[in-house]
This record gives sequence, structure tokens and C-alpha cells, in this order.
Amino acid sequence: MTPLEKTDLLQGTLDLLILKVVALGPVHGYGISQRIRQISQEVLQVQQGSLYPALHRLEKRGWLQADWGESENGRQAKFYRLSARGRRQLAAEEQSWTRLSKAVALILQTAE
Amino acid sequence: MQWWRRIFGWRVAEEAMEREIGFHIAEVTEAYIAQGMAPEQARRRAQLEFGGREQVKQEIREVHVSAWLDAVVFNFRAAFRFLRKSPSFSIIVILTLALGIGANSAVFSAIDAVVLRPLPYPHGDELIALYQHDSKGRSANRLVAPARLEDWDRMNSTMQAFSGYYLDDNTETSGSMAEKVTEAMVAPRFFEVMGVGPFLGRAFTSQEMHFGGPRAVIISYRYWRNRFHGDRAAVGARLRIEDKDYLIVGVMPASFQFPSRDVDLWEPSPLDAPFERTAMARNFTWFNVIARRKPGVTPHQIAADLVTVQARLGKQYPHPDAELNVEVEPLKQVIVGSTSSSLWLLYGSVSLLLLIACSNIAALLLARTTDREHEVSVRFSLGASRDAIVVQLLTEVFGLALLGSLAGLAVADGAVYGLHLLAKTLPRANEIALDWRIVVYTLAAALATTVLCGLFPAMRGTRRSLAHSLALTSRSQVSTQNPIQWLLVGVQVTLAVTLLVGAGLLLRSMQELGRVYPGFDPKHVLTFQVSGSWQETTDMKNVVERIDRTLDGLRTLPGVEDTATSATLPGVSSKYQIEFEIDGHVDPSERILADSHYVSAGYFATMRIPLLLGQVCREASNTSDVVVNQGFANRYFGGASPVGHLLGGALGSDFAGTSMIRGVVGDARENGIETEPVPTVYSCFSAPNPFPNYLVRTLGNPMAMAKTVRRRIHELEPSRSVYAMSPLQQHLDDASAETRLRTILLTLFALVAVSLACIGLYGTLSYVARLRRREFGVRLALGASRGHVVAGFLGRGLRVGAIGCAAGVLLGLGLSRFLSGMLYGITSLDPMTYAGVVGFVMSVASLASLLPAVRAAQIEPVRVLRDE
Repeated sequence: MTPLEKTDLLQGTLDLLILKVVALGPVHGYGISQRIRQISQEVLQVQQGSLYPALHRLEKRGWLQADWGESENGRQAKFYRLSARGRRQLAAEEQSWTRLSKAVALILQTAE
Repeated sequence: MQWWRRIFGWRVAEEAMEREIGFHIAEVTEAYIAQGMAPEQARRRAQLEFGGREQVKQEIREVHVSAWLDAVVFNFRAAFRFLRKSPSFSIIVILTLALGIGANSAVFSAIDAVVLRPLPYPHGDELIALYQHDSKGRSANRLVAPARLEDWDRMNSTMQAFSGYYLDDNTETSGSMAEKVTEAMVAPRFFEVMGVGPFLGRAFTSQEMHFGGPRAVIISYRYWRNRFHGDRAAVGARLRIEDKDYLIVGVMPASFQFPSRDVDLWEPSPLDAPFERTAMARNFTWFNVIARRKPGVTPHQIAADLVTVQARLGKQYPHPDAELNVEVEPLKQVIVGSTSSSLWLLYGSVSLLLLIACSNIAALLLARTTDREHEVSVRFSLGASRDAIVVQLLTEVFGLALLGSLAGLAVADGAVYGLHLLAKTLPRANEIALDWRIVVYTLAAALATTVLCGLFPAMRGTRRSLAHSLALTSRSQVSTQNPIQWLLVGVQVTLAVTLLVGAGLLLRSMQELGRVYPGFDPKHVLTFQVSGSWQETTDMKNVVERIDRTLDGLRTLPGVEDTATSATLPGVSSKYQIEFEIDGHVDPSERILADSHYVSAGYFATMRIPLLLGQVCREASNTSDVVVNQGFANRYFGGASPVGHLLGGALGSDFAGTSMIRGVVGDARENGIETEPVPTVYSCFSAPNPFPNYLVRTLGNPMAMAKTVRRRIHELEPSRSVYAMSPLQQHLDDASAETRLRTILLTLFALVAVSLACIGLYGTLSYVARLRRREFGVRLALGASRGHVVAGFLGRGLRVGAIGCAAGVLLGLGLSRFLSGMLYGITSLDPMTYAGVVGFVMSVASLASLLPAVRAAQIEPVRVLRDE
């Protein structure tokens, strides 16, 4: 499949994706972009220009916490992990996303 | 603490951002290399893919800034809500700070204008005052001879230019009425040295600065407004002074008031008159010398340079130059004088006052923090960090401080206006004003206040909430044994006692001074001057005749008891010490030093200075008669009668001729009420200068005679004007104006401080009483006596008061050393003062403790227990 453009991502979706990926375990920015690409089977490619500001924003809001640590290649990297509040936020966002996508799917099916 | 790191760690954040992005690019590069790409190409590709690096960084920065702005807006809105929610608390804090900060800003504005700022002339710190000084101490004369001024200007290597001035009073007769004008006679280069020129017209030409050149004057802004109503045509008009016409060539700007704010005209005083070229002229001195140093030259270099110059002059003119030293002083120091120590004293006390206000507010906030524990706990549990809560609490205080300092600026504005009224004699008083520097200072004070008042309660409030979980926090668990509250009250009492000690010492000095009899009677004496000019002194006989005629004319007025003239006013004049010899005999082991005063024969009767021996000068005699005071007779004649002995000026002192001692009079405090009498020689001479002070003893209120006196002088001297008319007592009061002002202000500050400390004590006790209501209720129900409760409270209050007093007395003992130069008749360790202060503070403190104690004891146990 061809990758979707950045603008195709719904507002707020990127935050949800980041929270979800980080929920799997501490990970650095590069790792997050890699995982989103791999898991979405190359459909979603996050632009670095939006990834890093989003990470800092989530950290500011207290949903992510960051520490410096060593990467797999032995480099110093900034690792993000989910805070307790982030976990609650993720749950809430996942729920609303599921409801939204169900609703969209319903409309698409009914209109056929 | 993260908040300070957030402020100071901007660079750290930038570096972290750079490292994070660098890591990403490195990882992508590595991935491409693993795919078989050449390293250089892989790096370029990775960078390309990342996109605009700076752009990304900018976006990240915006995330941080907007979060910061959000927090600021949030905090200020929370602060505003908080202020609105408890208006009475807010108003009390704002008013306290308005007074504290306002008073502080007002005194600072005075210090800034008078002490800190350079003189209001271009590069004012380069201006120097210079004096000559008799190296053997035979004469107090510090003025400089014109010839010597010119030599210094020619021979020095550290100054840009020298000039000089002296003041002269004259009569201007071009209008319908004779008018007295104050002239500054200025040497060449005067305006160049000052760095200021006329704003209208021109400066003096070199012809006008030469002997015999065209006559010109420059007028002051005030004279221009009053006399010419600000008409630009004043330049080119003529004034008539001493029957000579002068062309007005320029008008000085309003800000130029040197050497005195009373100056009406500046007139050239050429240095090249034929007489001034003679060696003899080196003995005649009248210039106050000013100079502008070269940029970068140190005071030390100037002093060394002038010592060299004067040594060369000493070789050329052994007499008198070899016996003269040069004294150098920054002009600002000459103008500001001793005022700066008074101002620093006031500034110190007003800052202590602000500290007391701060600890008072800190105690109030601390009490509130306990009340707000619940709110803080809720915020914690919602996940706010401690930093965020501390910042929020500080923002509340800053909001209060900001409002307080704005109100404080209004207070300061009023205070500065009051200062202008109270301190007219203060040097540079006209320069005191509120400007942006004071506004910045006030805002800085608000910030400092925030930290002083707020940081501690905020830290404490949030720490406690960390320890106590939300569930545990209930009203009954609030600690009542809060030592910090008591520490703050103790600090307030301590500082208040310190201020009170200072005020007490000054008040006691004033009281001591009030008891002193000055040796003359200043009541019912009218003083004034009649215009005259130094140019008249070419015919001294004429001047003496004129003044004697005026004295006679006044003495015959009904309501006048006696009249006299004197070169200086009694009790106001400054010391003028010279060296004498008795009967032509000089004893090098005991030099005869005495103050010299010139008075007319009627002076002693007019001033009620008693004649102890011999007689006062005869009316007819001229300078050849002198009268000495008792101090002189005791010191130099060992109690034997000095009458009949001959007194002459020692070689080199400026006392001309030989005079016979006619009599001995009582000691009088000629040099100021607070100065002990010194050996004094009165030379009987009614015309020591062309415009001496007239002293008229009246039967009733001296000012009631003012009109009659003016009329009589107008009859006698229609072309002369009368000026500076006021009771002698007024002059004496003016001379002690600075002392009085600082005493009044310090007393005021100390009383405010004591009130604040009492409010603090009262407030804290009331607060504790409120918290312990239940406990008292139970105790009373169990049979404790009300007296017991009262005693407990009173004891608590008095203990804090006593500890505060002890600390305050210790601090006062340390700090009052700075007052020692301002005290009269007592030392800075005056036990009366300390005892009085401690007694006063302790009695006020017991009153402040008694009220909440009694209220606590009046609790109805039944009602309290039912409430719980």
C-alpha cells in the first residue's frame, strides 16, 4: 500500500498512536517512528517535523515521562515512557477512537 | 526544584533537543548503511528525510513556550480568583505592602537623586572642588587667590580646566524699584568647566572676560521668568548695577543652579587686573575653585599633581605659597555634604520596616496555607507537581505585591511631594522625582517582597501536604505548635525594637539639645540684610558710615530695644578659626587659636551676651578694639584679666593689625546650638562686609516689626533693598532642619514598626486561639480555670516579646554605632533609651497578647463541644 500523507492523519490521532506505541515499553523517538511504520505495514509514516513537537507536548502535559538512556547501538538517546496519567489518557482516547471508527464504519456500510 | 532549572536551564534544554535530533539522524543513517548505502550518501539522505532541522527545533520550542505561557496565564487567573475570594485579606496585605514599598521607594528616590546620581552636569563626576589650606593651621580661610587659580590652571597636568566663583549681592536699579540681585562672580572658563552653556543667547566672549572689557551678564532662568516674563528679547536688554550698565548676553537653562539656586546673574570676574599680577595679591583670596579632571585620572593622581604644582609655586613665592597645601574634593561631596549619612540612615530604617511588613505578611500567608491545606492536597492528587503548586502560590503573592507596589508608587509620589515641602534645605532637593528608575526599583522591591513573603509559606504549605495524605487532613489535625509563626513574630519584635532604639537615641539627643542655653537669647530678634556690593569696599569709611547710620535710624524706632550687625548669624555660622599672638609674643609650644567674629558694638546688648569684665567696644572706635569670651580668657590667661593686653594676628593668619582687648563676655554657642563654645575673639566693626546681617531686638513678636523696619530703611537708603528678613529663631530652626527631619521620620518609621509587630503578635495569638478552641473548650469543661487559659496565652506572648526585645537590644547596640555622629549629650549606649524602649515594647506587647487571651478564655465550653 502507498503511505498516507501526514495531513491525512486526523487531528489527535498522532497523539493516540504515540501513546499506544510508548505503552509497549520505553522507547526513543526514532523507535516510535519505526514502530508506527512497521505495525501499520508501511501505511503510516510519521514526519519528524510533527513527531518531536508532539513528543514534547505530551511530555509537557505529563502523559509521557522521559529519561536519557543507552540505545541498542550504544548511543545516548531520550527514552519516553507512559506516566500513570498517560495511561489513563490512553485508555480514554482508545475508547473514543473505537466509538468514532465504529460510527464511521456504520455510516459507510449503511450508505452502500 | 525544577522551576529554577526551568528558568536558568534554557541552554541545557537546547542541548538536549540537539542531542535527541542528532540521535535520530544517526540511527536512520545507520539503517541506510546496513542496506548497503555509502556512509556519506546515507548521512545526506537521512538529513534530507528529517526535513528542516531548525524548523523542527523551532516547533519544539513553541511547545515549551506556549506551555509556559499557559501556566503563567493559569497562575495569574488563579491568583486573581484567590484575591477576589478573600478581599479583606488581600486589602490588608496590599495596604501593608503599599506603605512598606511606598516609603522605601520614596526614600530611595531621595538617595538616588542626592547621593547616587552624578551632578546634573555633563560628566558631573569629573567636577572637582579645590581649596588652599594653611599648612600650619593658622587660618581657616580656604578660598583661593586669583593669581594662584591662574597658576594652577597653567601648571597642572591632570585637569582639563580650572575656574572659580564667589557670590556677591548687588542692587539692580534699572526698574522702578531698587531690587536686590544675587550675583555669581565667575572666573574665566566657568561655563566650560561646568559643561553647560546658555540655552538662549551666548556665553561670555574673551573680551568680556578681560579686565576693562565690555560689561556683560548671563541671567538665570528664574530671573528671566520673573523679571522678563520669559521674553526672548531679554537677551540684548540692559541691567543697571552699581550705576553701571550691563548687557544681558544669555539665559541659563532652568536646571543650571550652580553655585546656588538663588543666583540671578553670572558676571565675569577677570583674573588679569593689574593688581592681581603683583606678588602682594597672592595673599588676597576670594575664589571657590572648581575644575574638571581629565577622563580616567584618579583622585590620587590629581592630589599628587597639585602637590607638585604647589611645591613649584612655593619655590617661586616662598611667602605665602610655600606654606599652603591644596585640598581636593569631588564637587558632589561638597554639595551633598553630611546629608548622605542621614539619607542612608533613613533608607536602612525604611528597609527594616519593609522587612517587618514582609514577615508580617509571611505569617498571615502561613496561617492561610494551613487553611488551604485541603485545596493543595486536591491539586496534588490531581497530579500537579510540587513546583507547579509552589509557583501558583508565589504567583498569588506576586499579584498582591504587584498591586501593593502600584499603590506604593502613589504613596511614594505623595511622600516625595511631602519631602519637597519638609526638606527644602536638603541639597539637590529639586532633583528628587519619581522616574523610570524608581518604577524599576519599586517593581524589583515587589519581586523581592514576593520571595521574602511567599517562598517560605509556599514551601512549607506544600511540604506538609506531601506528608499528609488527603484522607488524613482534617481540621482537628492541624498543628498548633507552629514554631515558625512564633519565629516570624519574634523577628518583627526584634526589628521594631532596633528601629525604636535608633529613634529613641535621636529623640533623647533632641531633648538634651532643647535643654541647652546657647549663651545668647535668640527670641524676639529680627534679622535681615540690606543690599550692598563688594565694589563699595574701595571706600570703607563710606560703608561704615552708611551702616552706622542705618543702625542709629533703626534704634530710635519705637518697639526696638537694640540693634547690631554681625558678619555671621549667632548659632548658625560656621567655624572660622585663626591663630593669634598676645602682646607680640609667640609661644611655639602653645599656639593661640580662636574663632574670629566681626560684630558691631551693640551686638552683646542685642544678643544678651553678658559683659563679665572691662567694657564692650566703644561706639566710635574702629577695628582696634576686641572683646574676648570667657573661654578665651580662661584658656590663654589662666583666669587672669586679659583686659588691656594687645592681640594681633600671628604671621600668616588673616587678622590684620593689633587690637586691644577691652573686655570679656560670656561664652555663647556661636557656631551652632549643638557645638560647645570655643575661645572666641570679637572684633568690633559694624561693616565687616557691605551686606552684614542686621540684628534687631524687638519688644514683641519680631515679624510684627518687619514693615516698620522696611519703611525706615527705605527712608534712609531709598536705592537699596531689604532681603532675607526673618526671626533669628527661624534661622536656628533651619540650621537644625536636617536633624529634625531625620528624627521625625525615624520616629514615625519606628512607631509604624511597633504597630506592625503588635498586629503580628495579636494576629498570631488570635489564630492560635481559633485553632485551639476545641481544646480550650474541653479544658474548661474539665474544670480548668479561665485565669489559667489567660495566663498561658499572656505568657506565650510575653515570652516572644521578651526574646524579641533581647535580640532587638543586641542588634540596636550593634547598629546604633552608626548614629554616634548624630547624637548630642548622650552616647549610643544611653541606658535610659534602651530601658525606655524595652518598657514601651513590653507593655504594648502585653496589651496585644491580653486581648486574644481574654477572648480565648471566654469560650463557652458547651457551644464548642456541640459545634464539633
